[in-house]
Amino acid sequence: MSEHRTPPPVSTMLMRGLFEENPIFRLALSLCPAVAVTTAVKNGLMLGVAVLVVQVLSSMSGSLVKHIINPKIRIPVFTLLIAIWVSAMDMILAAYFADIYQQVGLYVKLIVAFAIIISRMELFSMKHSVVPCFWDGLGMGLGFLVGLVLAGAFRELLGSGSIYGIAVLPFKPLLLVVLPAGGFFTIGLIMALFNWVDVKRGHKLPAGGGGAHG
Amino acid sequence: MTCVPGKPVVDQAPPSGREMIVIAAGLTMVCLFAAMILGGLYFFTQPAKEHNLHVREETMIRGLLGLTPQARIQEVRRYLKREGKDTQVIYLTGKKLAQLELDGKEVATLDVPNEVATAGSAEEKDDWVKKQVKVADPEHFKYAGRFFVGIEGTQPVGYVVEGITLGFKTWIRFFMAIDSAFTIQGVEIIEHEEDPGLGAEIVQRYFKNQFAGRSFEDIEKISVIKDPLPKDWQDAVEKLGDMPFRPWLEKHRDMLPKNPNIYAITGSTISSTAVTVGVKAALGNFRKRMNIVGKYL
Repeated sequence: MSEHRTPPPVSTMLMRGLFEENPIFRLALSLCPAVAVTTAVKNGLMLGVAVLVVQVLSSMSGSLVKHIINPKIRIPVFTLLIAIWVSAMDMILAAYFADIYQQVGLYVKLIVAFAIIISRMELFSMKHSVVPCFWDGLGMGLGFLVGLVLAGAFRELLGSGSIYGIAVLPFKPLLLVVLPAGGFFTIGLIMALFNWVDVKRGHKLPAGGGGAHG
Repeated sequence: MTCVPGKPVVDQAPPSGREMIVIAAGLTMVCLFAAMILGGLYFFTQPAKEHNLHVREETMIRGLLGLTPQARIQEVRRYLKREGKDTQVIYLTGKKLAQLELDGKEVATLDVPNEVATAGSAEEKDDWVKKQVKVADPEHFKYAGRFFVGIEGTQPVGYVVEGITLGFKTWIRFFMAIDSAFTIQGVEIIEHEEDPGLGAEIVQRYFKNQFAGRSFEDIEKISVIKDPLPKDWQDAVEKLGDMPFRPWLEKHRDMLPKNPNIYAITGSTISSTAVTVGVKAALGNFRKRMNIVGKYL
């Protein structure tokens, strides 16, 4: 029952999450939180770190338990595993990072339902052992974090004229981008940038964002 | 088993008895694992969480009353005790433990030792009170709310009442600062689970500061209206918090009669009404109770 596939090299696993299969800009998963929290760099960064930790822990624990659970119940078990790590994050943030928790506490609980996490468990953890799962989770988590920070930086700079809460422009160039609609525009623009880079590199990415290979 | 991880489940026949046991055992194990991790984490993080809450409450009270760093905050806790058919009210202040009948007639008073008055944890205080008033059946003794007295030197300068009201889904907990003439100095929402973007807007200055500067009589007559919030009044209430209450009230006193009601948050009339009803009830109850407990402070 345990036929592990040979994992791809570490660099491939990391780059896959960051670029080729970037959760937000290539797979277009978990767009809702990406739009909701990226009004400022700081919020994006905090939520990104929380997702990164939950993704790594979930991927690894998913890989660990895959032999002892019947594949028919893998979805409830995966959901339960994600819920454990999200609750753990929630408690730790509330206890030791109260200021940050005030800002992102609401969204941390929502990580339970983030599509990217369960899709990585389903596509990658089911076929690979713990160590590659760590790298894959790290890559995907970093990809999500970088995505949130990029979108947050763009929106904060244009919408509020600041970066990470520090004013850099004396005016607000484009207020629209901090509004929810502006969030979608921002993500669409960065998505276009990803595709442009891909075309420049010789159009190697699978159409439709890929995500099927693990 | 016919299932291979990673391959689609082709065989959708009902699982055999053995398979069902395996499934149940697997789920049980994962749940046990979950319970262990979460239980352990709760044990370690809960004290820190409570400490954070305590610090936050104190900062809020100081901010609401505009206290100097030397000022002291004294908690007053209220309990209810069933005594046969009658109910007694018990107040624990900084100085006295007063046991009263419902109409305010004194049954017994006791001096409060310093270590109880300054105890940090609510549990410690509750346990001491329970011991003093000789509770036979724990069912007959109930904690029933609290307020805080801001004390500069020896003089009380204001009160912060903790109130609770039923919001859209669950309880909204708030603090309300009141001066000795029962005028509201400010409202802060401490805990709520209203919807982000809608009911959660109750924490915003443009809503919560609409209560500031209202007298007891104003609040008795106040209601929630669905008119749009006038721009000048919004600008005025947004300023409270950047400037202290007294100068703010001096500057905007004439605007209060022009805006005698609370403007509801768009799309969140239920949450807006909940807070207004809560503030009304908390202020009314506090005035009644101050007549009784005032002399024990």
